[in-house]
Amino acid sequence: MRRRAWPLIVACMWLSIIVPAMAQQGHPLTGTWIGDWGSASGQRTAITLVMNWDGKNVTGLINPGPDSIPLGSVSVDYGSWTVRIDADTKDAAGKPVHISAEGKLEDLGSYHRTLKGTWQQGAAKGDFRLTRD
Amino acid sequence: MKSLAVISMLAAFPMAAQGPFAATYDSARHITLKGAVTRIDWVNPHAFLFLDVREGNGPMTNWAVEFGNPLELERNGWSRTSLHIGDVVTVEGIPAVGGHKVAFAKSVVLTAGNRKIFTPPAKPRAVTNAREPAPRWPDGQIRLGPAPGKKGYWASTTSALVEAGGAPIPMDADGLLAHISDAARVAPFQPWAKALYEYRQRTRLKDDPLARCIPPGGPRQFQIANGFQFVEQRDLGRILVLLGGGDRNWRVIYTDGRKQGEPDEVVRSYYGNSVGRWDGDTLVVDSIGFNEHFWFAKGGLPHTEGLHLVERFTRSDLNTLKYEVTVDDPRTYTRPWKGGWTMEWVPDRELQEYFCEENAESTFIR
Repeated sequence: MRRRAWPLIVACMWLSIIVPAMAQQGHPLTGTWIGDWGSASGQRTAITLVMNWDGKNVTGLINPGPDSIPLGSVSVDYGSWTVRIDADTKDAAGKPVHISAEGKLEDLGSYHRTLKGTWQQGAAKGDFRLTRD
Repeated sequence: MKSLAVISMLAAFPMAAQGPFAATYDSARHITLKGAVTRIDWVNPHAFLFLDVREGNGPMTNWAVEFGNPLELERNGWSRTSLHIGDVVTVEGIPAVGGHKVAFAKSVVLTAGNRKIFTPPAKPRAVTNAREPAPRWPDGQIRLGPAPGKKGYWASTTSALVEAGGAPIPMDADGLLAHISDAARVAPFQPWAKALYEYRQRTRLKDDPLARCIPPGGPRQFQIANGFQFVEQRDLGRILVLLGGGDRNWRVIYTDGRKQGEPDEVVRSYYGNSVGRWDGDTLVVDSIGFNEHFWFAKGGLPHTEGLHLVERFTRSDLNTLKYEVTVDDPRTYTRPWKGGWTMEWVPDRELQEYFCEENAESTFIR
């Protein structure tokens, strides 16, 4: 048992570094992020966020496709890796709705890094969790 | 009297590790292990021996001890039969971070007998006492490889790429800064890039893609252990750069007169699209089209797909190759910047087979 434990442990260590082998190593926000937002106990809404660093700004879309929402602004506090996202959309009745989210980027070196925080869409508030795809 | 037969002061630590040494081993700590050898993995790039060690009055535990590159060990008299299963040894070494039963050996002492079985491996050294002229082709152009009938390859002599012209920045062989406050002196980072570089430094380069056998593009290919070699295929209009370490990959530099492609049209890759031309005795190489899957230099310097490198290789004599690189990535740095170092010729030797994946197969996955 003792002798079998070592290879198993190291295999797990190795696999843990092999799996994210194709990690994107540039600007940490660049890429496609998948997750959801909503209240902790209520309904969750799936979101896909695509972001790209162009050298001056982070640009992108929420839910790419025919109903995509362009990101209005993305700001980052690089001291804490806190990210604030603002965007504007319309509800089903065509009424303007503002989206604001603020979250913290965690595990920067991982391909599947995460962005978690609070999400407000119109009057609805909740939390969100995104994982880089 | 029992004891003391073998002492092996091993080669420079970073030579023994594929990834950053600091990310794997805790140099601030020391460990002594005594036990019987249960297994020997004589594989590239890192040989391991395994010991059953009784810690105090506790149960026996099995430790993995990394002890060097077999090619270097063999050159210094050690062989796969120098130790045998069941031999009792004492290892002085450095333990792995995270409490794993893994150590890097600084010395191995055979406790039975008095038989010296190997001597400290020595790194191949360049011949620097003679300033022989650089070899040339019949048309007078500098050769980047050996003269006809000779052997040799290039070894890097540096630990890091930093902006030229400033005061020396203290750092270790992996490019880990002695003082994180020196980060701003390394390169003219954009704020996000400086923050990411500092994060990589603070986490002791633990996410280094090279440690996962990801190809080392950019100047990093000239910073890896075991050197590199140029193969000039003049009839094909290209120069191959063969890597002696990392993932045993190669890079192509086209010298057939083609023009550099448009950045948006080039397929992103680890080594980019490289076009070279000779400027006197200097090979000037322009490269674009890099992906973002690697660190282009030791220490965790970030880049984006916008990276543009201009490298200058000047062989001033047989043993000396000056390497200068201009880094232009406006998405990452506030302005273009230059760095470089000098490579040394390793005469009369050839690159050896070296696969960084080998330890994964032989040691880690069983």
